[in-house]
Amino acid sequence: MTFRLTCPVCGKRDVYEFTFGGQERGPRPEQDGLSAEEHFRWTQFRLIPNEPQEEWWYHGQGCGVWFRTTRDPGTNREVR
Amino acid sequence: MSWLRPRRLWRPAPLERHYEFVIIGGGIHGLATAYYLARTHGIESVAVLESHYIGFGGSGRNTAIVRANQRTVENVRLYEEGLKLWPVLTDELDFNLMFFNCGTLNLGHSEAAMNGIRMLASTHNLVGVKSEVLDPQQCAEVIPGLDLSDRPAFPIHGGLYHPPGGIVRHDAVVWGLAKGASARGVHIHQGCEVQGIDTSDGRVTGVRTSLGSIGCDRLGIMAGGYGSAVAAMLGIELPIHPLTIQAMVTHPFKPFLHTAFSSGAYHVYANQTLKGEIATGAHMDPQVNYTNDATAYYLKHQAEALVELMPALRGVRFMRIWSGLADMTPDMAPIMEGELGYEGLYLDAGWGYFGFKSGPVAGKYMAQYMASGERPEILAPFRLGRFLENRYSGETAAVMKYGHWD
Repeated sequence: MTFRLTCPVCGKRDVYEFTFGGQERGPRPEQDGLSAEEHFRWTQFRLIPNEPQEEWWYHGQGCGVWFRTTRDPGTNREVR
Repeated sequence: MSWLRPRRLWRPAPLERHYEFVIIGGGIHGLATAYYLARTHGIESVAVLESHYIGFGGSGRNTAIVRANQRTVENVRLYEEGLKLWPVLTDELDFNLMFFNCGTLNLGHSEAAMNGIRMLASTHNLVGVKSEVLDPQQCAEVIPGLDLSDRPAFPIHGGLYHPPGGIVRHDAVVWGLAKGASARGVHIHQGCEVQGIDTSDGRVTGVRTSLGSIGCDRLGIMAGGYGSAVAAMLGIELPIHPLTIQAMVTHPFKPFLHTAFSSGAYHVYANQTLKGEIATGAHMDPQVNYTNDATAYYLKHQAEALVELMPALRGVRFMRIWSGLADMTPDMAPIMEGELGYEGLYLDAGWGYFGFKSGPVAGKYMAQYMASGERPEILAPFRLGRFLENRYSGETAAVMKYGHWD
């Protein structure tokens, strides 16, 4: 089944209107003194347990806003 | 009338408190590893833990195409050996895996794609794997009914014909491996969900499951698309996105498609099963998830793409749609690793689109890795550490741009 996400501007819309922006992972690490290994770990490595996570989404086929929401990868649905 | 009584292919086994080797995941990779641990390495204490039923995950959800037409030499070598194992296993397991060596054809829809296809064919020929570049007319000889006109949005420029490829009955592989493993003393526990992994002094000591705690000396995470969730139980970060791929079948009809084909531009692969249905798929949902959700959105897209390539299919009905997980890595090559910070812990994951065709060969070498503790030379290119050294596999240089993770 498809599902809907809650855009802060447009309200609940079909997921295919949105682009997945990945997990919310805090600020990018400071560039000064950042080793190559730390850089690759930050850009590519993820912890994806089967439990709700904070994510970024982009409403590309709607109002064009980037927003954060909490969604459960085990059910695909938003968690309020 | 004893011949009428159904015979079990694998025996129910008592759940022991401790096994030398525990494999998480009762799919093709896990069962093949257990099979080779028992068969080749003579290990008598092996358990396979499966949270649902064996073959529930990607092993029973793929579209059953097997091939060795990867982009890089190290990947082609691995998949080629995998391809040669189907007839061997059919014999060894005494179980018909229904390997149909029908060949595969990858269509190119631009001159850039054709250049990519020429590179693929050169790589395959370099390592002695049969592949050739076809022009549009030759493509239509292999796949009757292709629309060669300029009417499609992406007209056909040619293709890569790969005769060693084919299709294999995926359930038969699961059952055959379970039969072979069980006959050699492997305990297969279905409905046994792993809920945690125990460690002590940097060693793996066991797993906590829905059926109780089980001790082990060596543990293999071979849970397909769920591998990143299992690794997360130990806080192990991986460069893996678990995503659902959707697949579907039409109603069955007379055999007409004698070769499996795919198109990167249209995001379609299709083959006619031995039952006569067209099994097709390729679409991937963008958000990480561990569900098996299928959507009408891709059903519609798949129908449009198939009809565009093969107008005669207009009006054919889809009967079923399903989805399975693909664990995507940034370089489209797998991760087979035994150095994860815990002694005795092994990981076989990140197979993405390619988990089915690689199952037996991955199991063979993971068994060797786990039994000896030494990484087989053929697995050297698939270390986890390559992602921290910026030494990616060149697999993404194949024809398609896969998605946002590569």
